[in-house]
Amino acid sequence: MKSLSIFIVVIVYSISAYPQGDKLVVDPSSLTLEVGEKAKVNVSVVDKKGANTNREVRIFSRDGRNVDVDDDNNVTALKPGNHSLLIISPPANNNDERLRLEYAVSIKFPEIARIALDKVPDKIYVGTTVRLDFKVYDRTGTLRTEEGVTLTSDDKSSVDQYYNLTALKAGTTTITARIGEITNTIKIAVKDNPVVSVGLESDMIEARTGDVFHFNANALDAKGKPIEDAPVTYTFSGGAYDISSSASGLIKQDGRFVAEEAGLYTVTASCGQVTTRMTINAVARDIERDVKLMGHGSVGDRHTSDFWIWEGADGRDYAVTGTWGADGTAYFWDVTNPANITKIDSIQVDARTVNDVKISEDGKLCVISREGASNRKNGIVILDVSDPRDVSVISTFTENLTGGVHNLFIYKNHVYALSNGERYYVINIENPLEPRIVGKFELDTPGHSIHDVWIEDGIAYSSNWQDGVQLVDVGNGIAGGSPENPVQFASYAYPSAAHHATFPYNSKDTGKSYVILGDEIFPYGFNLNGPNTAAGFLHFVDFTDLDNPEEIARFEVPGAGSHNYWVDGDLLYTAFYNGGIRVVDISGELMGDLGKQGREIGFIIPSDPEGYVPNAPFAWGAQLHKGTIFYSDWNSGLWAAKVVPEVMDDVQVETR
Amino acid sequence: MRFIVAIILGYSITVNALAQDYYVYVTAESEDEVAVVKFDGEKAETIKRIPVGVWPAEIEGPHGITVDPNGKYWYLSLAHGNPFGTLYKFETETDKLVGKTTLGLFPATMQISTATGLLYCVNFNLHGDMVPSSVSVVDPESMTELKRITTGTMPHGSRISSDGLRHYSVAMMSGELFEINTLDLEVSRKLDLDLDDTSMDGMATVDHSKMDHNKMDHGAMKHSKVKPTWVIPHPVWDKVYVAGNGSNEILEIDLDKWKISNRFSGDKGPYNVEITPDGNKMVVTYKTAAKTGIWDLNTGKELARLDNNRRVSHGVAISSDSKYAFVSVEGVGGEPGSVDVIDLEKLKIVDTAELGKQAGGIYFWKMEGGN
Repeated sequence: MKSLSIFIVVIVYSISAYPQGDKLVVDPSSLTLEVGEKAKVNVSVVDKKGANTNREVRIFSRDGRNVDVDDDNNVTALKPGNHSLLIISPPANNNDERLRLEYAVSIKFPEIARIALDKVPDKIYVGTTVRLDFKVYDRTGTLRTEEGVTLTSDDKSSVDQYYNLTALKAGTTTITARIGEITNTIKIAVKDNPVVSVGLESDMIEARTGDVFHFNANALDAKGKPIEDAPVTYTFSGGAYDISSSASGLIKQDGRFVAEEAGLYTVTASCGQVTTRMTINAVARDIERDVKLMGHGSVGDRHTSDFWIWEGADGRDYAVTGTWGADGTAYFWDVTNPANITKIDSIQVDARTVNDVKISEDGKLCVISREGASNRKNGIVILDVSDPRDVSVISTFTENLTGGVHNLFIYKNHVYALSNGERYYVINIENPLEPRIVGKFELDTPGHSIHDVWIEDGIAYSSNWQDGVQLVDVGNGIAGGSPENPVQFASYAYPSAAHHATFPYNSKDTGKSYVILGDEIFPYGFNLNGPNTAAGFLHFVDFTDLDNPEEIARFEVPGAGSHNYWVDGDLLYTAFYNGGIRVVDISGELMGDLGKQGREIGFIIPSDPEGYVPNAPFAWGAQLHKGTIFYSDWNSGLWAAKVVPEVMDDVQVETR
Repeated sequence: MRFIVAIILGYSITVNALAQDYYVYVTAESEDEVAVVKFDGEKAETIKRIPVGVWPAEIEGPHGITVDPNGKYWYLSLAHGNPFGTLYKFETETDKLVGKTTLGLFPATMQISTATGLLYCVNFNLHGDMVPSSVSVVDPESMTELKRITTGTMPHGSRISSDGLRHYSVAMMSGELFEINTLDLEVSRKLDLDLDDTSMDGMATVDHSKMDHNKMDHGAMKHSKVKPTWVIPHPVWDKVYVAGNGSNEILEIDLDKWKISNRFSGDKGPYNVEITPDGNKMVVTYKTAAKTGIWDLNTGKELARLDNNRRVSHGVAISSDSKYAFVSVEGVGGEPGSVDVIDLEKLKIVDTAELGKQAGGIYFWKMEGGN
């Protein structure tokens, strides 16, 4: 049998391997074009004798934005670079093979046309330094990111390799920018430096780590008159009290300084050769407290997702938790006594994941999101929770939400529900039996997407990944918006594009309006049945000036990643997945790395040997309710904890 | 020569008499995994579960799956993204990810043309807005999307004629059948499946891709009664068969006349349709009824209507020897997904393999000689 098999294989092979000899012939063999230029490509299939076979051939562009090809094989160069076209000839009969060829098209970069030097000062003072900024454009007017631009100067100034210009002598200095044969020459007046001293003051000379000092420096002439246009540079040095640490902090060029380590710091203000110093004392913040576990409502047979705590009409406290990747169940709990969290009801809908759960302001309605419905009509389900021990479905709403609702929010009789991670719809639920869409919000940026939406004071804060946070008026009045007519009025995005959650925070101490933006990042893969590690942190953006939001601070937990969070008063309660729950002091002005400044008050990590994945903390979110921190964990359910006061509740203090 | 033919025939008979192993790839849409199911002629089992997706806290929904004609690679559409779905390319030998590219909204069913070598994937876009979606054309070697061809609302079912030159898909909500020239990458014909009188040739040749959809009132767009969810070209005849999910029928379309030439009344919710490679039998999942129908295409008779092991019958793959049909069954809620293996000669379910939740896209990979 073996020999027969070989015999057959040989016969079959000899037929299929018989060379057909057809090949693609392309003229020209490759293409080099200028931007905007067109060229005809002639392509045919010839047999081994070189005769045209008249086989069908098509040319395809891999990216029509770079190079286009029409039905007559005319190629148009659109963007510079090395591109390729795909040429395919299908088999004309069963004996033919499909022919395929990658065809190179090189589109030349247009010549550099000019170097523009921007924001050039009218004058500079001897001894001071400014950084010059320039842009390179080609002949099509396209901004280019060319390297190799050199800046040179005469003897009245010097320019280093990072384009910092330092004035040396009074007069007029000539600066020449050059790339290849293209140059641009500018002249700047260099003035004698009138500054003879720098005055420096601070609003504090001693404060805790994490508190923001405000320095104010004035460059003064011989008569003590301020020279307003003289540039002042702030730097700092210092020494930590802990000999195992180093002094560290952050100083801004507007004079704000914050220390991370306790120690003595010297801030220096310089204008040219003239400097002045001030030493301040940063004491340890010293706010660490224990976070004590109060209770646990275990969910060990499936993953737990989001949750919400509320006070019911009967004055007792309740919780709802969602489930993830299971059978569409949401659980209801009595959490009046956090030490005795009791499951009191559950409801199952057609879904695999109930990712988000929210309760109306009056505590009577619950809206849960659906993903993985068997009929692929996901949407939301509105529940009657006026008696949390007897929860019932009021209605199901799927219009325009069929692709799945990942997150939602309830605000003043309206549900804000995400659809397919593209937009959110505003759904009026005044009559919960008949929800109706009254508005929607969607960006128009390429590839826009959305992960979450949160409403406070009539402003919807949506988390839009690469498009960052979008502040939308849905009834606040700041931009004339309403639920029927959401109006976007501010935004902020950051480069990592990982923005997944938002919580606003108005600081009563400072009057500043912060918006806390959270990352969601999983750089190390994921194991559904084992422990996991996340990454990412919280970005604090000062939105006090809506037109110029400033990312000013961060909170991160090394080795863990941020998820959902809550602010109450001046305290932040944040889930950091494998890093558990963190309680953070966000009082006062914020700047720099809050964790390194010792602003973390305490932490607790949910770990359950009976969890769905045992002993694998993965905290999902946190909420403060009547002084208790409630938090859900993906692997173990609902938990409760308290920050231990400096004097324990159960300690009797006797006085004599 | 006659001697050699006799030997080959004899060998073929001998080989056929030996047990065969059959392999299919199946997606589990609510589990973010792909399963490899092996059937040895008697027992079916999931021999491998391959996690897919990149966002652990999200279900990304692996939906469509196909294997290239050479069997070297399998391709998977992940329906959900930010917001666009993704096409992934894996090696069959190792199930290792080797490439990916972004497609449209909710990419679903796909197939590779034997003529062009290109992959054609419908962007189902079930997200609610009744707007025309598209078919993405991808070069699977470089994993670059060459073109998106606009078709109808919620396009589904992406199957290619045996010569590889014509691609067929249906638009579920607008009730249309689209034929795309796989070389020209343009819609060559369109058929309104809700019209009994399909002689409106002018309509049939409208190129939907050239319409300015921004000027159309999609709020007034029709919602099909037929609700076609699948189309499969016959391997030999110039006919395609369409699952009328809303009308509980399978429509036969004569490609020469470009008209509905026959209607087969089925059970509730026909969803996917496949035809045996020998062209004799048609296998139909009845999604709502949780059943699978087997039809004799020569007589037009339904030979059997089998109860699937659980609810939500989904996709069909048929072995290359035309002997077995593999039917994916989604399950509901926390139920596992499964694959029912149907013996197409004995007309009964032989065995069932279980896998992750919401078993969906399914594609026949290979037959191997048994041990």
